[in-house]
Amino acid sequence: MIKLWLVAWHEYRQHVLKRSFLFALLSVPLLIAVLALVAKVPSLLDSMNTRYTAVGYVDHAGVLAGNVPVSTGSSEQTVQLIAFSTEEAATAALEAEEIEAYYVLGADYHQTRQVELVYIDEPGGDAVRQFREFLRVNLLADQPVEIAQRALEGSHHTVRSPDGRREFSGSLTLGQLLPALTGLALVALIFFSSGYLMQAVVEEKSNRTMEILVTSISSNQLVGGKVLGIIAVSVTQFLGWIVFAILAAIVGGQFLGVEWLQDLGVDPQAVLMMIALVVPAYVMAAALMTAIGAAFTEEQVGQQIVALFISFYMIPLGLIIPLMRTPNSSLAVGLSLFPLTAPVILPLRTLFTPVPLWQTAAAVAIQSLLALGRVDRSTHLPSGHAALRQATAVAGAARYGKTTIPGAAAPCRPSDGHAGG
Amino acid sequence: MSNNSKQEKENTMHTIKVSHVAKSFGETQAVADVSFAVEHGEIFGLLGPNGAGKTTTIRMILDIFEPDRGTVSILDGPMTEAKKERIGYMPEERGLYQDVPLERCLLYLASLKGLPPVQARKRLGEYLERFDLAAHKGKKVKELSKGMQQKAQIINTILHQPELVIIDEPFAALDPVNTLLVKDLMRELRDQGTTILMSTHQMHQVEELCDRIVLIDEGRNVLYGELDGIRRQYAGHAVLVRAVGDLPPLAGVESITHHNHDTKLTLAKGTTPQEVLGALMSQNVTLEKFEIAVPTLDEIFIRVVEGGVS
Repeated sequence: MIKLWLVAWHEYRQHVLKRSFLFALLSVPLLIAVLALVAKVPSLLDSMNTRYTAVGYVDHAGVLAGNVPVSTGSSEQTVQLIAFSTEEAATAALEAEEIEAYYVLGADYHQTRQVELVYIDEPGGDAVRQFREFLRVNLLADQPVEIAQRALEGSHHTVRSPDGRREFSGSLTLGQLLPALTGLALVALIFFSSGYLMQAVVEEKSNRTMEILVTSISSNQLVGGKVLGIIAVSVTQFLGWIVFAILAAIVGGQFLGVEWLQDLGVDPQAVLMMIALVVPAYVMAAALMTAIGAAFTEEQVGQQIVALFISFYMIPLGLIIPLMRTPNSSLAVGLSLFPLTAPVILPLRTLFTPVPLWQTAAAVAIQSLLALGRVDRSTHLPSGHAALRQATAVAGAARYGKTTIPGAAAPCRPSDGHAGG
Repeated sequence: MSNNSKQEKENTMHTIKVSHVAKSFGETQAVADVSFAVEHGEIFGLLGPNGAGKTTTIRMILDIFEPDRGTVSILDGPMTEAKKERIGYMPEERGLYQDVPLERCLLYLASLKGLPPVQARKRLGEYLERFDLAAHKGKKVKELSKGMQQKAQIINTILHQPELVIIDEPFAALDPVNTLLVKDLMRELRDQGTTILMSTHQMHQVEELCDRIVLIDEGRNVLYGELDGIRRQYAGHAVLVRAVGDLPPLAGVESITHHNHDTKLTLAKGTTPQEVLGALMSQNVTLEKFEIAVPTLDEIFIRVVEGGVS
């Protein structure tokens, strides 16, 4: 048993000390940061290209006489609002390019609620929005503060599921998005760790270290230790991403004022579901990848098989529109029970519908059973038919000038005088 | 005595006993029928041309492959997990992690052999000094020369002080100084009671080190036994002579050939070496050397393998 942990620790240290691990650890948060930046670029360019001089207004209705200022968001540039007594004066200012445009509230504004906008070049969205806010604030100036504030906030919508378990108010919060994000993180984790897992025994297979290992420890200890070590590497990576996510949420929510990052309230039930689903899903994927790595002599073939498996995890992402429309369709339920799609589709569905408990329980049960079975098959290597024995046989066959899938390994007598008996 | 108990008794006399093992891969017969026994505390040579089945035989001994036919007994019975700690195995090449610093690699592999860390570190330090590798212990294995890697592999094989050492081509990539170092080490281990099974192509090393050998070809035994006995068995009816001046004509000598500084006299049937020596003495020839011409193992190897002698 101690040897299993020795192998696990060696494997863990080997991977964590590599530069590629640091790259994998930083790449996902960096990628997300870059994507966020790219998404922000159009609005940044817009604000950079927009000239905010000033906007004028002529108030014949006396609505804006109080001149109550508008408090704007920190990210929004304030537009200067200048009062003119006559339209001639405002027009002169417009022609002199002192203002961008001007609004005219006619004497009959209280009856018509019509406002006229005069401009040479149409003003930017911020100017229009800010004048509208200015107008609303001043229209409510005679109301008590609480009523004015509530009226300015507009309508509040709360959507509740019939069973009362789920509730949405306004936009999604990070806490609500967390299960879906965890599902996506699992795909990323499997994608990144597939390389480690595939190569778990590749180095040993490519030379004769395998022979030294299998004459030192049992194949169960070797494969079990390697899978444990790589899972520990992946957990370290995952925890690293969580730390980055928390940091991003704190910086984005508290310092940059990103609304959806401000509510970190996490549903404990959702977290529990994710743990119950993701842990066996990852263990199953890990054991599967290791077995593929051990079974195929040629790394490229193994990678193609792995890519095929990973593509199953991506299916729910391709089906996100139909899932959004009919999250309880037969297809959605079927994919929720299928082991290679369940860890991604179930959390995605929770965004659109309450998922029946039996489906979650069934998915977790299937996932756990398969994970146990897969690990058992990967580590329990009966004499003569073991994957590692096969791998060694293949390595041996390769030395005879033949590489093939285990079971068909057949050395032939060398014609090139290569040593090896 | 039943057959089983007789077999068990025989096994306990030998560190390794291989009985009629065979192994095929698909349609290719790697080993057809190989049998030999390695006794306690001897250096045993496993010889054969390329592709003869040596490595497959070693793998069957170590339970890496299961034989299709025949039996293997190692350390008094079938291979078990516990026995693995009593065995040191060195494959022909590249048996170490290439991308790991030398010291860490050897300590890790020693830990898998059950060697406690403190003891492993102490012994490793001594061996690294002895093999002149101490200055390179922080380097990755792949950064070492082939000779250094070979020495590192040898250290890895013996670090846990195994009872049985199975070593494939121990002298590959070693210069004469290091070859001598390894030979001394092997003799030292034998003197301490370690059994060594050595597979090599370097026949002169076998002649110097091995007590007994088995020569296999095309997956079958072709020679097996004590080295001296085998050489005598293949000795021709000839003597090697080195004399001061020219040799006089001698009765009973069929042909005379020259070997370096020696003269090889092939004797006629019925002529004995003693008669030739007597003739030389009677003619007052000053002799510097007179010996029965025993073939080298290289010569025997070539004769057996090329001639198909069994």
